[in-house]
Amino acid sequence: MSDFLGYAFVQRALVTGTLLGVTCAVLSFFVVLRRMAFVGVGLSHAALGGVALGVVLGVPPLLAAAVFTVFVAWVIGWIRGRREVSEDTAIGVFFPTSMALGVVLISLSPAYRQDLMAYLFGNILSVRSEEVLPIAGLCLTGLGLLGWYFKELLFVGVDEEAALAAGLPAGRLRFMLLTLLAVTIVAALRLVGIVLVSAFLVIPAATGQALARSLGGMLVVAVASAVGSVLIGLWLSWSWDLPSGAAIVLVSASGFFVALTAGRRLPIGGRPQKSTGRR
Amino acid sequence: MISEPTAPAVLLDDVTVSFDGRIALDRVTFQVPAGGFVAMIGPNGAGKTTCLRVVLGLLNPQSGVVRVFGRPPGHLHGDVGYVPQRIVIPRGFPISALDVVLMGRTALLGPGRRPRAVDREAARAALRRVGLDGSAARRFEELSGGQQQRVLIARALCGRPRLLLLDEPTAGLDSGARARFYALVCDLQHAEGLTLLCATHDLDVVGDHADTLVLLDHAVRAMGTPSEVLASGALESAYPLPDGHVHSAAERETR
Repeated sequence: MSDFLGYAFVQRALVTGTLLGVTCAVLSFFVVLRRMAFVGVGLSHAALGGVALGVVLGVPPLLAAAVFTVFVAWVIGWIRGRREVSEDTAIGVFFPTSMALGVVLISLSPAYRQDLMAYLFGNILSVRSEEVLPIAGLCLTGLGLLGWYFKELLFVGVDEEAALAAGLPAGRLRFMLLTLLAVTIVAALRLVGIVLVSAFLVIPAATGQALARSLGGMLVVAVASAVGSVLIGLWLSWSWDLPSGAAIVLVSASGFFVALTAGRRLPIGGRPQKSTGRR
Repeated sequence: MISEPTAPAVLLDDVTVSFDGRIALDRVTFQVPAGGFVAMIGPNGAGKTTCLRVVLGLLNPQSGVVRVFGRPPGHLHGDVGYVPQRIVIPRGFPISALDVVLMGRTALLGPGRRPRAVDREAARAALRRVGLDGSAARRFEELSGGQQQRVLIARALCGRPRLLLLDEPTAGLDSGARARFYALVCDLQHAEGLTLLCATHDLDVVGDHADTLVLLDHAVRAMGTPSEVLASGALESAYPLPDGHVHSAAERETR
């Protein structure tokens, strides 16, 4: 274990992986609440188009992916506010279109194909030292915004109409959540890659939901599950020479199935109550 | 918060709303006196929910005047509580009745401030007022439809409103639960001095509680006390039945 922790690239992977895990876990709470799992899938695949655009235009691929994915997120948010097309239909259009754009552009840059696997499946162990601070900054900003607007996002997620009636800027909050989702997805490409990042935006909250009896308990379990998955997944990746992104997602999914099997036997965040209210 | 003493709680004057050229509200005029209970009835798609959205300030009418406590809508959020038909929470999401009620304090608290002991006490008090003080920690999804509606009323009350807007709040409830719901709403109206504006299909129950019925079918077809509206004959034109069917036992006897 001391060998494992002694390498600088492992330390970088642990720091960025933990921060991304916490951010994804808190975001996953709202993704599950708002049934946005398909949005996560769509945005993560849109990121491939952004990566490819960056390669073709000669700008850093992750920066291009961030701009492109936020753009797609805003278009999805804009379409959601209109009547012509439903949100999932819009995502269903953007998902393959962005993916196809990415594949075509990358096929035009043959030298770049070797790096494609890193974006598709992630490799947190390859995070460079100059990438740590930007990723940490993005995660801390995202967590700060999610914490600052937590109860507002919760209200809008549960009942947008009543939140609007109460004077909350539901539309702006929805766009903020979509933007955070897009930026976090791009940042997490280094962790688990395009194909697997959407799992990291659902599984932590799903694990929390399976175990906890309260919103606070669900958040705690989600964060613990994400951080635990990153740490155990990285260790397994190191020990058995496994792809790190896939190892992290498999550990995360195993945690979910264990939680599902254990059910709600663990009283995390309160015990069940018998009804005393009148019907 | 200051309003003219004589101003009605809600005033709609010659209000017209259309969507893509289709008229949803056609020169609608009525008012809700402070402390009164006005129920809007009418068939599906008659414009009842549109009317509530106009009062909430979520829709701007193409023409006409809307005032809530003497001011344009959308500026009195703390004074207006909203009770929807229902809310849908993902299955298994561990949100309790108290969590839902606490949402009513969100706008009062503002961003970055967590609910304090006083907010939790206000939420518990609101649950007590709707008879659910023992269910604060229960999951919202485990409550019956009637209990869920009472939680949503508690959430609205938790924001300390003067006006409560209810959008078909008893949809899906059985007749007993609907009667209990309106009895509770009426008790709250008198105990808290609330003004109520309700969109409903409950012709059989709401007439026992509302001061005024507004029969809406894009335009106001009838308005008055429940007995006046229910006896006006306007219901038959708003709710047309197939040939051979009759509306009431009395009508059947006269045939």
